[in-house]
Amino acid sequence: MFYRLSGVHHTRYASARQLWPLPADRWQVAAVFVLAVAAPLYMSDLYLSSYMLPWLVWSTATLALTLLMGVAGQLHFGFGAVMAIGAYTSIHLTQAGVPFELALLVAGLLAALIGCLFGAAALRVKGLYLVMATLAMQFLVDWVIVNVKAISGGAVATLQAPAVEFLWIPVDTLVARYYVALLWAVIVTLLMLNIKRTSFGRALVAVRDKDFAAAVIGVNIFKYKLLAFFTSSFLGGVTGAILAFCFYRAVTPQQFSFDISIQLVAMVLVGGLGSTIGAFLGAGFVLLAPIVLLNIVAPMVEAGWLPVSASLMAHIPLMIYGAMIIGFLLFEPLGLAKIYDNARKYFLVWPFRHTQS
Amino acid sequence: MRHSIRSMVGSGLAGAAILAAGLAGGVAHAQDKAPIKAATLLDFTRVYTFLTDEYSQGQQDYIKLLNMEGGIDGHPVELIVRDQGSQPQQGIALYNQARQEGAIFFDFLSTPVANAVMPRANEDHLPMMTFAHGRADAIDGQRFPFVFPSAAIYRSQAALLLQYMDEHGGLKDKKIAFVHIDSPFGREPLALLEAMAKTKGFTLKAFPYAVPGTEQSAAWTDVRRFRPDNVIIWGAGPGQAVSIRGAISNGISPKSIYSVIWLSETDMRSFQGDAVVGVKRFTAVNTGADSAILKRISEKVIDAGKGTGDAKVVGSTYYNIGVASMAIMAQAAKQALDTQGAPLTGDKLKAGFEMIKDFDAEGLMPPLTITDKDHQGGGWGRVSEWDGDKWVPLNDWGHAYQDVVWQLVRDDAEKAAKEAKK
Amino acid sequence: MNIEFFLELLANGALTGLMYGMVALGIVLIYKSSGVLNFSQGAMVMTAGYVTWLMTSFGLSIYAAVALGIVAMFVFGLLIERLLLRSMVGQPIIMIVMLTLGLDVFLRGLVPGILGTSPKHLDIGVGMAPLILGDVFINRVYLVGGVVALALFALAALFFRTRLGTKLRAVSDDHVSSWSVGISVEHAVAMSWGLAGVCAVGAGTIWGTVQGVEWSLTALLFPAVAVVILGGIDSILGALLGGIVVGVLGSVIPGYVDPLVGGSTRDVVTSIIILLTIMIRPYGMFGREDIERI
Repeated sequence: MFYRLSGVHHTRYASARQLWPLPADRWQVAAVFVLAVAAPLYMSDLYLSSYMLPWLVWSTATLALTLLMGVAGQLHFGFGAVMAIGAYTSIHLTQAGVPFELALLVAGLLAALIGCLFGAAALRVKGLYLVMATLAMQFLVDWVIVNVKAISGGAVATLQAPAVEFLWIPVDTLVARYYVALLWAVIVTLLMLNIKRTSFGRALVAVRDKDFAAAVIGVNIFKYKLLAFFTSSFLGGVTGAILAFCFYRAVTPQQFSFDISIQLVAMVLVGGLGSTIGAFLGAGFVLLAPIVLLNIVAPMVEAGWLPVSASLMAHIPLMIYGAMIIGFLLFEPLGLAKIYDNARKYFLVWPFRHTQS
Repeated sequence: MRHSIRSMVGSGLAGAAILAAGLAGGVAHAQDKAPIKAATLLDFTRVYTFLTDEYSQGQQDYIKLLNMEGGIDGHPVELIVRDQGSQPQQGIALYNQARQEGAIFFDFLSTPVANAVMPRANEDHLPMMTFAHGRADAIDGQRFPFVFPSAAIYRSQAALLLQYMDEHGGLKDKKIAFVHIDSPFGREPLALLEAMAKTKGFTLKAFPYAVPGTEQSAAWTDVRRFRPDNVIIWGAGPGQAVSIRGAISNGISPKSIYSVIWLSETDMRSFQGDAVVGVKRFTAVNTGADSAILKRISEKVIDAGKGTGDAKVVGSTYYNIGVASMAIMAQAAKQALDTQGAPLTGDKLKAGFEMIKDFDAEGLMPPLTITDKDHQGGGWGRVSEWDGDKWVPLNDWGHAYQDVVWQLVRDDAEKAAKEAKK
Repeated sequence: MNIEFFLELLANGALTGLMYGMVALGIVLIYKSSGVLNFSQGAMVMTAGYVTWLMTSFGLSIYAAVALGIVAMFVFGLLIERLLLRSMVGQPIIMIVMLTLGLDVFLRGLVPGILGTSPKHLDIGVGMAPLILGDVFINRVYLVGGVVALALFALAALFFRTRLGTKLRAVSDDHVSSWSVGISVEHAVAMSWGLAGVCAVGAGTIWGTVQGVEWSLTALLFPAVAVVILGGIDSILGALLGGIVVGVLGSVIPGYVDPLVGGSTRDVVTSIIILLTIMIRPYGMFGREDIERI
């Protein structure tokens, strides 16, 4: 009843194979888009800057990682380093006077090239060993950034993002920064939604499922694994730059440490490997759940209902984060995307009980 | 898979309610006079864990005492205590949230978070304190009008230690080993030490060890071969005990070990007997529970059972530093309210800070004078020695080589200006 | 640089490496029986250290505390396997690895949160005076640590010759064949987790003495992973020798390179060891090669 399935007939291939064949879906997407674009109008500054903006940027990063881990099946535990490369490159370039758009592109390219080096390990090993190799590279990149003064700026180790202009509009107010982040999020989302409909995406899926079988049918594994790393690292590098300019407005080496890499992998897994909506849900959940739960527990502790010391209170978000990862993996390994999918399928044919898919 | 519609709607509504409650956050209080909200967003879980518990305990106990004694000119002080895990992202989000709740003063006790929030605090006109940590050039009140180190920064601490060494044995032609953690915090005083090495004529050699400092044997082996006259250790938390153990097991006398401020009773008590008597460290705040404020806290707060944590911690190094940090803030707020009247805003509090003159928190700390140019307060401190049981001050409050410190700050400012122009 | 400097770095490095090997032994034991790489071994070492400290804070001597700690951590390992890992059988490896990572984060929050974050000290009764051989200073605690590590490795080797150990070896070879012969794979896996907990006690006590018991003990995971990769994930001998190599390289190379670079290169050395091993010989020195069949 909600989705008005009856009467939806497609007579041409083009309309049957569009991203959202149901008009109800298209209306939903349009509504979400309008809500996102109009956010500065109805959201307070606090919500916009502390919740919406980081959520958008981290979702984009999760999308980039899910392209690599979910679609191409290559495990990457060093994505924080890729984002760090993008962030630092863009800051140095803009400080040197390069226009913002160009700086973003170059930052993405540099991150992609170095990401390909990470990818070279994937040509040799898979699974656990790839995890370890990318972990080691994360530490290497961290060390290089901290110790090479030319990159990190010395003992003070915080580089401020200079004022920039995007397409001749100065990016200095919160609203401007929000729209830059939103634009990039929309681009990457469109890319991810369409990736499996291209030959590139299909090749990646083939490599993920059984790479030697893919080689048998003529997919060049070497090329596609490297391309997967290249694309994903490019997106990640630009996202790191956007994070530096739109959210932090400065870069420090700790912003992109090993913990961030693990957080990204957690977002991908909690959201669901390879799923676009899962990236948004996963990022939102991992970012917000500890804060939300802490805000519920804190007044209870202040009111004296729960006898918990301040130190334990401070550790509760960490415990919630860990428990959340464990909980999702135990009870819903396919992530929030599967839960959303279940709900959608339920409403698709409501009030009837059975679906065709 | 049968979900009744009721259970789905029910859980959906519950989820929405929880989300709304969680995002709203904070608890509203109704008071006679508007409360002054100070946000101490510290690192309870990651890097600064060795000190945050006791530091926060000191802060909370002092605020309790202050509120018992009538607050600041009748205004109660509300402390917002949260954890940022030394992560800049978390720190920025919590800063924004606290700002929304009306906080006008911030303390992060984490160098990376403080550095990340500084530009925002300057923009939003909200003063923040970086007590004895953070970046060196933040003492320049012209460039960082809303950042108040309020205590000797790392370079001043190193300068004071050097001055003590100079007065007790001289520096010329001596060999000083600087064993430090390989992080921005560990490398802070290098610029000053190298500058002083040239003017005073001693040989300086730096020995970095990897974060988190749990394994330093290679560095100390190297130090032994350097045969230094004095060793300065610059680490924090568990690394400090490892450093001292490394030094002593390589034949270095404890009397020639000098440390940064972050060396506490807990670290020293992990050694048995007299093994570490004679280790010296920089002290910014008196230890012990003898001073006036500490006595009042013991009477009115601890003995009344309202203490925030373990009573044994009262009077220890980090606890007293916490008390001092809040005392300085309270003094600034009081002076601001007296001269400019309620309600207290960020700008008024900033002016209040810059009015602080010869403030010593009733004997707890050296006389602090903050001006609009000097947000450090003079770089006061003294050297204390461990006698096996407690820290004993060896000299009077003093400050050292502030001209060198400020010259380096000016050099940093020039470099930053050049980079901004690029 | 003279030979004594080199020898000293070598000796202390080897001993440190043996101590890393203790942590690695736990990882190897679990991987051998169940194919799971336990990323929470660092957190287990931290928990073991805290448990031992807790026992000493009740007034027990260090030896009684260690004994009780062994029992407690054995049960802890069993519980983790039963509650968490049992339901993940058959899932892709990335899920299980993330599960152990989630457990690592959870323990990092739970244990210091409840027991306090300021560093606790453990004392195994060894003084600070170094052992001096010629001009070479050897840290006494490290020496004890190395001896304990060697003892644990010897015990592990002996254990695998017992009846129970043979069952574990069978399980590590092939789960299905073990079932068909009547060996309970579930019990064997649970037992290996328990044994990993026991190794964690050894590592936690020694490292806790060296640096104080604190959440940063979880950072021992990284060098332990390097040991495990270098030696082969399923080889105990590999963990022993790999530990020595990682320890020696991590002590000798920074000893000479640090003054040139001006920074600490120990993490870089560990990372490069991992990368080179994976690029040149992914299965490590003594690991068994994984052949994937279509």
